[in-house]
Amino acid sequence: MSEAKTAETGSSATPSRSRIAVLGFGTMGSGIAQVCAAAGHSVVVVEPTDALLEAGRRRIGAFLDEGVRRNKLQPDERDAVLARVEATTDLEQCAGVNLVIEAVSEDLAIKVDLLGRVAPIVADALIATNTSALSVTEIAAFLPAPHRVAGLHFFNPAPLMPLVEVVEAVQTDPETTAALVAFARDLGKEPIVTKDRPGFLVNRLLMPYLNQAIADYDAGLASAEDIDVGLELGLGYPMGPLRLLDLIGLDTHRHATEAAYAQTRDVHYAPPPLLERLVQAGRLGRKTGRGIYEYEAKS
Amino acid sequence: MSKTPVRRVGVLGAGTMGVGIAVVLLRAGHHVVMRDTTDERVQTGIDGVTRFLDRSVELGKLDEATHRDAIAALAGTTDATELADREFIIEAIFEDTETKADAFAELEALCSSDTLFHTNTSTLSVSAIAGRMRDPGRVVGTHYCNPAPLMRLVEVVRGRKTTDAALQQTVEFLQGLGKTTVQCRDTPGFIVNRFLVPFENDCIRALEDGMGTVESIDAAVRGALRYPMGTFRLLDIVGLDIHRAVSLSLYEQLRDPRCAPPPLVDRMIAAGDLGRKVGHGFYSYEDSGLMGT
Repeated sequence: MSEAKTAETGSSATPSRSRIAVLGFGTMGSGIAQVCAAAGHSVVVVEPTDALLEAGRRRIGAFLDEGVRRNKLQPDERDAVLARVEATTDLEQCAGVNLVIEAVSEDLAIKVDLLGRVAPIVADALIATNTSALSVTEIAAFLPAPHRVAGLHFFNPAPLMPLVEVVEAVQTDPETTAALVAFARDLGKEPIVTKDRPGFLVNRLLMPYLNQAIADYDAGLASAEDIDVGLELGLGYPMGPLRLLDLIGLDTHRHATEAAYAQTRDVHYAPPPLLERLVQAGRLGRKTGRGIYEYEAKS
Repeated sequence: MSKTPVRRVGVLGAGTMGVGIAVVLLRAGHHVVMRDTTDERVQTGIDGVTRFLDRSVELGKLDEATHRDAIAALAGTTDATELADREFIIEAIFEDTETKADAFAELEALCSSDTLFHTNTSTLSVSAIAGRMRDPGRVVGTHYCNPAPLMRLVEVVRGRKTTDAALQQTVEFLQGLGKTTVQCRDTPGFIVNRFLVPFENDCIRALEDGMGTVESIDAAVRGALRYPMGTFRLLDIVGLDIHRAVSLSLYEQLRDPRCAPPPLVDRMIAAGDLGRKVGHGFYSYEDSGLMGT
């Protein structure tokens, strides 16, 4: 993928151009930190424990090693990217950053508590949240300078997916939007600007489609395999909706679509009964070895 | 593909889909008679098939011998009685239940009792199309994707009365054409259109709601969902008038508001913005000579 190459080899850019704080070193946080570091920024990642920092660092290392193995990245480039990522449990280390990207748990209380503590440290930095299901406007309302807050929604895996949604809260001022668009473009991403409404743009479109797939499968439209193959071959989609659901995680999708339903009361976002049953049964998708499909145990 | 027996096939309708299906059949070595209502239409269809096969040779995708045999195995007619010896009838005519049902009933009276009847409908009921036949068990929905010679998928649809034997023979026949089949119930839109059309309408509604621009929504669909083409590019190719008709047909059958054509579609049609065929739809193509076939 050429996008991957852009992100991975972007390390030839001017080093240390700006300093970015990434809050959270999970799947999204590590992907975002990697993309920023690969573009030449120096990144400080914050997590509350050393174990979480260690895990995040390993995740980036593994991703970059794979790039080296596939000859898309030189070993010294990998080392340079890793060297630009600083991991700390000390929030004070965020002092002096130009931008904060928050990628912690999808929980409003956790996010606003953390951002509330970081805001006085980072002074006039822009604050971006990578939330996918919460209201950016509500998060901004808890912070001292809501006009400098916006959503910056990366897709998983962040180093490979070209699109980034720049989400304008009600309070976001145009300069903030413009700065984030320029920042995302500089990362080698394709930014699009959208409004802070449930699901933003991409998930607004994706969730009803995924819900329809579960409901139609449940109703016996066709086998899971035939629904997926039909859409893969008929429309050229990279992955059919039921396989995609198993990859996303049925609990993750349920949480997102429930949140959109709660805000819209639009039945197309309501979790279909089979989704609820599969989650109740612990069949969450690939990560548990079974969701809509059954997977062989990972060796 | 050479192992499958050569079949005598009748294709009803010499439009885009009929031509595409005829190409698929001829490439697999079958004998094809195309039927349409006028000599002009039949000739247009024959020309279309010939052009496609000629081009395939030019591109090195078809050898001369296969090309010669294919052309020799193709005939056209306006006369139903010339289809009396056909083992398969594949209809790809105007998307109207009555017209399709009449065409099948007329041919049932002429053809052998073993002949299978395939309908290429995309939104109508296979059971209804079989409704005027004495033996509706031989009717199977076979929905090819456009362009049929390039797209591997065929949706196989079982009507209320379709027999197991007819279904199985149909799947084997399609596999012999090099197609991948999926089976689904006789339900509006089958699989592909049932998912595509509401998704397209959701994109149009997102545009109406100011969630993005034509360009940004297409970028989102390509960049985050990794679909091969943006929704508005695709709608421009399909044509807004065609999209509206398919959409409305699904809405009337399913009553799902996601299937209802959003008001912007009507406004665009009223303004003549039908898509690429007229040079403007969601995008403008007037200055661009590079959009070929």
